[in-house]
Amino acid sequence: MENKKNHAGPLMIALQHDDLFDLNSVSTNTELPKGRAFTFIKAVQTVNERLVEQNKNESLLFEVILITKECSEDVKMKIVESVKHYDLEIGKFYFCKKEELKNTLQSNKVKLFLSTDRDDVHEALHSGISAALLYDQADHRVLKQLKVIFSGDVLGFSEDSLESYLEFELSEKQIETVKAAKICVKEFAVLIGQMRRRFGPENSPICICVLTTWGSRNVCASALKTLREWGLDVDEAFCLAGAPAHPILSIVNPHILWDGGFHNMRDLATLS
Amino acid sequence: MRVCVCRSYRAELLYDHQLFMMNMNTALPKEMHTFWEKETCNQSSPSKKPKPPKPQNAITIAVSSRALFNMDLEQDIYEQQGMEDYLNYQIQHEMEPFAPGPAFPFIKAVEAVNTRLRELYPDSEELFDVVLMTSNHAHVGLRLINSINHHQLFLERFCMTGGNSPIGYLKAYHTNLYLSADSLKVREAIEAGIAAATVFSPGKITEVPETQLRVAFDGDAVLFSDESERIYKAHGLDKFFEHEKAHENKPLDHGPLKGFLEALGKLQQKFYAKGQRLDCPIRTYLVTARSAASSGTRALKTLRSWGLETDEALFLAGAPKGPMLEKIRPHIFFDDQMFHVEGAAELGTVAAHVPYGIAQKIPPKKDGKKDTSARQLE
Repeated sequence: MENKKNHAGPLMIALQHDDLFDLNSVSTNTELPKGRAFTFIKAVQTVNERLVEQNKNESLLFEVILITKECSEDVKMKIVESVKHYDLEIGKFYFCKKEELKNTLQSNKVKLFLSTDRDDVHEALHSGISAALLYDQADHRVLKQLKVIFSGDVLGFSEDSLESYLEFELSEKQIETVKAAKICVKEFAVLIGQMRRRFGPENSPICICVLTTWGSRNVCASALKTLREWGLDVDEAFCLAGAPAHPILSIVNPHILWDGGFHNMRDLATLS
Repeated sequence: MRVCVCRSYRAELLYDHQLFMMNMNTALPKEMHTFWEKETCNQSSPSKKPKPPKPQNAITIAVSSRALFNMDLEQDIYEQQGMEDYLNYQIQHEMEPFAPGPAFPFIKAVEAVNTRLRELYPDSEELFDVVLMTSNHAHVGLRLINSINHHQLFLERFCMTGGNSPIGYLKAYHTNLYLSADSLKVREAIEAGIAAATVFSPGKITEVPETQLRVAFDGDAVLFSDESERIYKAHGLDKFFEHEKAHENKPLDHGPLKGFLEALGKLQQKFYAKGQRLDCPIRTYLVTARSAASSGTRALKTLRSWGLETDEALFLAGAPKGPMLEKIRPHIFFDDQMFHVEGAAELGTVAAHVPYGIAQKIPPKKDGKKDTSARQLE
């Protein structure tokens, strides 16, 4: 049964500093150059602005914490300075080792850990962390909208459709991963669903999409129903039945691509 | 290719005879169809649903939700009461499948062709691929999926763009034909180089064949460019005839739906290769206001120069197209002029408007004298 916990409160997201800033390019400036997560963080700030516009006392806002793994004191300083320089709303900074990641995220009630590195995401998912790919948008235009894609193949998974998943030769382990990922993302989905409902169907700063890459239309329907049960209304839905997803992704241009580590989507995201 | 010249009732009788002949030939396939069905039932996995083909191999037909289904009531709610009421209504009626819309029989016939193709070429991906391309929000998604299930359509691909333009997605799917009830989207698609047409509901229901897909095309500004129409509009009928005669051997430039006719032709070849020419499940028609005696020659020669043909060519010499189409009973008829589209729809043909060429610059005629307009390309 659903617990009646009050869900108001910030929606915590974690980013890694090497996604937010580009550490590889040489720069003489004091601040670090923008990294691949920049459009994401700007979109998140837009959402927060719109939420506050509607309700000054809104507590359900995005809060971003920045995770930094091993790095020198110099770099740490630069990171803090750069955040100030770009006027980014970063709630907290965590300088922690890789092994400490899970604890850090849990103690901060982080609902979603984002990375542009597919392996990082995969590892996180395997250790039970709710994680998703920060989709590297080729176009660095800052949109006035945060776009999130959920995998319909994973969300639409049910015992009834199990047969069709076996047909596509998913191993037992992969099926377990799929089931676990679905459970794992629920908290994030519930909160972002509440946020989404603060706005109407049109002119919303949040856009929720479901992408079903090879599941049938009924798998997609199941995904839509699941999200509705969780209080998350979907704006756009795509069902590809095995057609390549890359062309669709390049039009939708999401910030967040959640696929529960589903291997089929491996060839979709380009990390150029 | 059969050429039908319509001058008087005599021509109509001739056509009836041909129709009779056609029916004789189509009697056979029904039996053969059952035979094939029995064969496939004995195969190892009879309940296995066939996989949709890869977009680049298939002939992709994108259809909007309002073209596929009847959403008139819901459309009214949207226009009069706004988005929120519209979405709420859709969600409340989620379990009620939509009734078929104007493009529904066409899509069903397309699926029937696929079934035949799969029987003859089980490993080929040269099939039709039907995609639902709607700008509806995913809120309407469940009702649409329920409707697809209810009508047992083989439609596994869709894009619900939540209000955004479908044009980018049409390109991403290598769309060969886009059918929509929204003329603005269709216009956008044509301008982006995608074959598209606005589908209109017929004034009355006509029974169309279930085992043979019939597609009828206008000539100028649909299969061909609008270059000759421009001449007629600028310089009149006489100049038009002169010009067409003088340039008889110069092929016309291609129009927006030439590619689709070509795609149909390729599939027809696959049936011919298996000895199914007489009872081919795809039949195409050219229905033009050109006259067989004069300007029609250039049209036929152009098709030939492209290596294309239609199964039948009807040169109406300006006569209204509606009655002829009523006899043919195509699943869809494409024309660039609303006058012809309306005329066809009135008499029960699903007609689709191709917003291309010079005819679009002219304001639509009000309750005008249909006779005079019909003589545009005599």
